[in-house]
Amino acid sequence: MVFESRGEKVFRFAILIVLGLLSVIALLPLLSVISVSFSSGWVVDLNQVTIWPKAFTFDSWQYMIDRPDLWRSFFLTLITTLIGTLLALLVTAMLAYPLAKKEFMIGGILMVGVVITMVFKAPIVPYFLTVRSIGLYDNPLVLIVPHILNPFNLIIMRTFFKQFPKELEEAAFMEGSGYFRLLFSFVLPLSKAVLATLALFYGVVLWNQFQHPLFFITDTDWYPLQIKIRQFITDPNEMPFLASRQEVNYNERTLRSATVVFAIIPVILVYPFLQKYFVKGAMIGSVKG
Amino acid sequence: MTQGQTPTVGQLKQIIRKRLRSGRLVAGLLHNMRKYWPLYAMALPGIAFLVIFKYVPLLGSVIALQDYSVFRGLQDSPWVGFKHFETLFRYPDFQRVLVNTLLLGALKTILAFPIPVMLALMINEVRHALVKKGIQTALYIPHFLSWVIVGGIVFDVFAISGLFNIVIGWFGYDPVLVMQDSRFFRAVYVITGIWRDAGWGTIVYMAAISAIDPQLYESAMMDGASKWKQMLYVTLPLLMPTILILFLLDIGNFMELGFDHVFNLLTPMTYSVGDILDTYVFRTGIQQAQYSFATAVGLFQSVIGFILVHTFNRMSRKISDGGLW
Repeated sequence: MVFESRGEKVFRFAILIVLGLLSVIALLPLLSVISVSFSSGWVVDLNQVTIWPKAFTFDSWQYMIDRPDLWRSFFLTLITTLIGTLLALLVTAMLAYPLAKKEFMIGGILMVGVVITMVFKAPIVPYFLTVRSIGLYDNPLVLIVPHILNPFNLIIMRTFFKQFPKELEEAAFMEGSGYFRLLFSFVLPLSKAVLATLALFYGVVLWNQFQHPLFFITDTDWYPLQIKIRQFITDPNEMPFLASRQEVNYNERTLRSATVVFAIIPVILVYPFLQKYFVKGAMIGSVKG
Repeated sequence: MTQGQTPTVGQLKQIIRKRLRSGRLVAGLLHNMRKYWPLYAMALPGIAFLVIFKYVPLLGSVIALQDYSVFRGLQDSPWVGFKHFETLFRYPDFQRVLVNTLLLGALKTILAFPIPVMLALMINEVRHALVKKGIQTALYIPHFLSWVIVGGIVFDVFAISGLFNIVIGWFGYDPVLVMQDSRFFRAVYVITGIWRDAGWGTIVYMAAISAIDPQLYESAMMDGASKWKQMLYVTLPLLMPTILILFLLDIGNFMELGFDHVFNLLTPMTYSVGDILDTYVFRTGIQQAQYSFATAVGLFQSVIGFILVHTFNRMSRKISDGGLW
């Protein structure tokens, strides 16, 4: 047993207090928004609501949940995130695998080409014009296609593939499988860890994407969740007419809070499942700076 | 060899050798492609992506030297040389935006950078596994929220009847409209950045700390070093290379403020301090369709960004071989 002096105990206790406080501070804004979303509008206006709902009501939530356009955006984002993540893993793996092979003659030049895209970033306007010219303007595919390959993720996967034992592939070749079968039936099933990590990276980007839809989507039918939420938060026309305040229990702030919390819930729900990939992911991702 | 001169025999030989070698290269490539065609087929979608989404826009940057119009296209738009770059530097708008970008970048780099280091050092001292995990979870969660959501939360917390104004009201202060006041924008930018990403930033340091040889702590304890001294004289020095590398990378990226981050905190009242190059390019280039001008702005930003990243990455590579390229 390690001997602890009194000073040490005070030291560790102080650290615990500070960290505890910081954790509370980190969660306070979330608690505040959640409380407002479950409180009645009039108590909120009276500066009564801090981190616990007062005059509890589901009215704000009822109003938000009854809006079909919100659900449309939600499912659009859910579907594009799922398809986009799968497609991204596929395209990334299919480029990373040849790049990890010595017999792939253009591999060296291609790697230089990949690194160049990381160093020289194209200005946003020519990017905008290019993407628009290939027909992705006001097209829901713009929520998927521009995200299916990230050079950093590509390099992570290539590095992983490079560590694969040669013997395994040789054995597979003896049985007459080609490169495609090798990749899909041997290499990928053994790469679950890196696939999960990259799925996390791609998935978060796809779910949280804001810039692409902001630039490329004007048709409100194709608004993904983040843009929809932003519209609710900033556009006064989105709010219901609140002249008849006495009859309803919500106001603009409770409605906005309910919308924000609505968008947080999915993140909180999947968080526990992703947690075990965080450390690994952030470690590999630390190369990203 | 200049034109019009007859080549010497030696030069001719060299040319022939070069031709032969390149011929062999092409033949070798064709052979390689035939033999390993599945590898080439696999790589095709990825290569097409890189060409369309990375290289075409990069080459499209030449419109900065044109008066580009969508109707005329790249070929028929008139070339105007560096006209847009010249107007750029004379534009008071641009100067303001550039200053805003540099200031926010500097503040972010200086103020936000040390936080994860301190957090990691403190988290490392927590022995109770469950408590440790709870703290880490609380600190990580904000990282997964989009900037739209963070913006929504922040506007709500700083609303006139929001948490912030209620709390300062307890101490007798009058309510402040923080988000609509240009005096507070920079602070809000830095604090929201810390709130969302500082916890996440600890992961790298935690991993570096866990790689430290426990024997070092044992011998430090033998010498009577307290926990505080161990942190100061064992953990911190061993963490220094990691800290330095990440710091240099951070400086290299200091122009990258995050479009989403700034855009979702901006209000018309805070444009004077919060308008940065990214949001400026969005307004002039995408919304007002001044394509060539905005490309010039973007190109200017890309070049500075490249120089910064390159310089500081070189420095970090000198410290250890952990550079990006």
